[in-house]
Amino acid sequence: MRKYLVLALSLALLAAGGAAIAAAGKSPAAKSEIVTLRRLTQEEYRNSIADIFGAGIEIRGVFEPTIRVGGLLAASTSVLSVTPAGFESYTRMADSIAVQVTGEKLRSRLPCTPKSPAAPDDACAGKILSHYGLMLFRRPLTDDELKSRIALTHTLAARQKDFYAGLRYGLASLIQAPDFLFRKEVAVPGGGDQYTLEPYSRAARLSYLLWNTTPDAELLTAAETGALNSDAGLKKEVGRLMASPRLEVGMRAFFNDMLELDNFDTVSKDSLLYPKWGVAIANSAREETLRTVIDLALTRDGDMRDLMTTRQTFINRSLAAIYQVPFPFSGEWVKYEFGPQAGRSGILTQASMLAMFSHPGRSSPTKRGVALMDIFLCEPTPNPPNNVDFSIINNTSGPLKTVRQRLTAHATNPVCASCHNHSDPIGLTLEGFDTIGGHRTRENGELIDLTTKIRGQSITGAEGVGRYLHDNPKFPACLARKMFAYARGENTERVRPAALKTAYAGFVDSGYHLRALLKGLAEGPELYSAPPPAPPSGSGGKVAMH
Amino acid sequence: MLDRRFLLRGSCQGALAVMGLPFLDCLLDSKGKALAASGRPLPTRFSTYFYGLGLTKQLWVPKTAGKDYEVTEQLKPLQPLRAKINVFSGLRVAVDNNPNYQHWSGVGASATGISPTKMSQFDSKTIDQQVADVVSRGARFKSVAASCAGDARQSYSSLGGANTLPAEVSPLSLYTRLFGPGFQDPSKGDWKPDPQVMLQQSVLSVVADDRKRAMQELGASDRSRMDQYFTSVREAELQMQAELQRPEIEAKVAIPAAPEEMACNNALPNLRKVTPLMSRLAALAMATDQTRVFHMSVSEPGSQIFIPGDSLGYHQSTHEEPIDPLLGYQPRVANYNVYNMELFLSYLQELDAIPEGDGTLLDHCLVYAFTDVAFAKIHALDGIPMLTAGSANGRMKTGYHINGDGSPVSRVGLTAQKAMDISLESWGSGSMETKSPFTELLV
Repeated sequence: MRKYLVLALSLALLAAGGAAIAAAGKSPAAKSEIVTLRRLTQEEYRNSIADIFGAGIEIRGVFEPTIRVGGLLAASTSVLSVTPAGFESYTRMADSIAVQVTGEKLRSRLPCTPKSPAAPDDACAGKILSHYGLMLFRRPLTDDELKSRIALTHTLAARQKDFYAGLRYGLASLIQAPDFLFRKEVAVPGGGDQYTLEPYSRAARLSYLLWNTTPDAELLTAAETGALNSDAGLKKEVGRLMASPRLEVGMRAFFNDMLELDNFDTVSKDSLLYPKWGVAIANSAREETLRTVIDLALTRDGDMRDLMTTRQTFINRSLAAIYQVPFPFSGEWVKYEFGPQAGRSGILTQASMLAMFSHPGRSSPTKRGVALMDIFLCEPTPNPPNNVDFSIINNTSGPLKTVRQRLTAHATNPVCASCHNHSDPIGLTLEGFDTIGGHRTRENGELIDLTTKIRGQSITGAEGVGRYLHDNPKFPACLARKMFAYARGENTERVRPAALKTAYAGFVDSGYHLRALLKGLAEGPELYSAPPPAPPSGSGGKVAMH
Repeated sequence: MLDRRFLLRGSCQGALAVMGLPFLDCLLDSKGKALAASGRPLPTRFSTYFYGLGLTKQLWVPKTAGKDYEVTEQLKPLQPLRAKINVFSGLRVAVDNNPNYQHWSGVGASATGISPTKMSQFDSKTIDQQVADVVSRGARFKSVAASCAGDARQSYSSLGGANTLPAEVSPLSLYTRLFGPGFQDPSKGDWKPDPQVMLQQSVLSVVADDRKRAMQELGASDRSRMDQYFTSVREAELQMQAELQRPEIEAKVAIPAAPEEMACNNALPNLRKVTPLMSRLAALAMATDQTRVFHMSVSEPGSQIFIPGDSLGYHQSTHEEPIDPLLGYQPRVANYNVYNMELFLSYLQELDAIPEGDGTLLDHCLVYAFTDVAFAKIHALDGIPMLTAGSANGRMKTGYHINGDGSPVSRVGLTAQKAMDISLESWGSGSMETKSPFTELLV
């Protein structure tokens, strides 16, 4: 239960939500609700620290792992918490960042210089702490929050006879606070039955969506003045953020999540069968896909459906080896177009997608099919049924040479078939590529058959399936749904179609341009809306972790 | 509720000492009691060990129960430590009204005694965390987890829900966590508390002070997540308290130099290199009282271990390798089963290599080894193999094969916790709820 009725506004909300309340014409007694509590991702954390404290801050530490919920890591940020090992790392990182920020090299960047570097200076400390507090918490600090940090800074500066040595701990306490590590999104009545995010929460949602980082000073000012909760003010900020080159950072983060490219962190390949594979190739493959997407979506402002069919890509030397194409270039990355005979089709046939969804030593039409259906069509394959007797498939058969022969055996069992018929057909069209993405025509000596039937339609090879996905209206719809869920940190499967209607229509009318979709989402009220708080349920009770 | 300012003041009448000698004296004074107590019995350590895909029934279940069981093909690798190991066959995992979440229901049932209601989520704290709540006070880390295959998500140690306690992903990362900054070497004669720790404590104190405000207005599930954050803060505070104490255990071990960065993944040759190293570090961690609870995993459920050149790998083999009509089982899968037992032995041998008191570290441990399935080919759960090792400081008899006779797998968990001196009447839920430990093993 995410909605929770509260009886009074906290001090923080009085400060933060005041403008919104005024804008909505409600009395200060109006209720607010905390809609989500989202743990910062590793990239969000790193980008935020770099933007708040400036370049050159080194962040060394381990971040807690994330999981996928409804196809997105972003959705798990509203589910996961901070474990002891995770906090241990956060507290160390916070201290190490504070040491650097207050160190001799960088302290000239601080917004205040103490009267004496060897003594406490509460006014100066207060100025510094409230400045960074606003940036870190994405809202002004409350009086109590600021006072406790000034006191800590004072005590430790006095004991050590060093202003900066005290400041280090005051700052570190902010960087490891839950208000930084979690994005707390708060909604207030927004007219009608619906609630809407108060301006500071709006600023954060917008900024992390478009730039994958914490709101900048201008956005925070737009939150402070309440401008963000007016149509004109919101449009202005969306326009500004979208015009910035930093939009690429935000979209890379989104596609890294949607295309599940984080899987590369743990992909391992059989080094005897595929000696070419290594970390360099894995990193290159991920980069190739991100470059392709950004080039199409932002640089060329193209039709997003072409992701399924384009033969344009970017390669470097190690990818050229996988794709078996010459690389007569001195630069690191070059734009490359596969020939029409290469059988390649968009990101479907890039080393990234082919390798991530394979076994270490062999391709897997099932894994590829399951992944592609889920990633591009938002159609997850159900879990296999209980206690399936796989022996039906395996024991009676003689030696089966191709994966297709082995998989076709599933069709003899209607229980297996119900799921495998969902996932395998798409996967089978990609069998012309091995487990690391190299082209092949034979498997174990046998010619590979690349034909399949999807919902009655005959399809051949990667190009056939690329065209099928390109023309399938479920693909752009799924992209829009994932973008919306990503921005809100919720499960894709729970997105209400009505919430997407306007933005999606704009996406279609534009010819499937990503910017049109983004703009429609970011400017629309739906992205920031929340259902009204549910009435309080029976209080107390032990809470299960879910 | 402890007065948070207490920590700030330390034990020196409100004087926040930073470097001063008087403060150190004061701290040493307060340490007098702990030093006097160093003659007490060694703590009993608890470790869970996870490996994927079970064993082959025809090859591991001994024909007879008791101490004189004849060794079977797949238990042969454990033979060197047979006298310190218990083997449990014939155990039942009941999913009750939940689906059989493939490669997950068995993990959840073995680790919590509860049939999981969701894929990849635990319905309660895992057994190691339940034990840690009781035994870990005073150790530097409440628990530590490590993944030999190098994936932080391969941890089957959890406070409940989807949030597992992340595993250390290489010998180097495990080493750094244990013996990097903050480590107090008990074998060093010139031990001094690190004044920096006191300062960090005061930071934590300020962070923890915000608890009440931070918990306000949150919905139930977010409240519990925020609560977990503050529990983690509390654990960091306890960890720092422990770092200010002179280490109590006079371990007869030397802390080695940091290991090198190495490839940690599912390739068997790498696992064979990494597992003993991780195991040695786990053993040292427990011997030096860095932690009393350790979780080790060698793979995920549905193990992706592979031998280079075998394009199927372990998990695919369990589903695709035909059952040999003459042998009656899958020979290649059976080989992988044996490799898993060899890896398990390497863990136990490292624990057994450290002399402690009148025996070895292993004798003062209880190792609880579990897996995800009984028969991987069809994800069958009945007869899921369970192993324990170590005699829990003399509380558990060892060297036995116990035939569970269709009783729930939770009986092993209950027995283990009884051996750990944890007072509880029953363990598990639904038809796996049990009040019957294997009393024949308890001393």
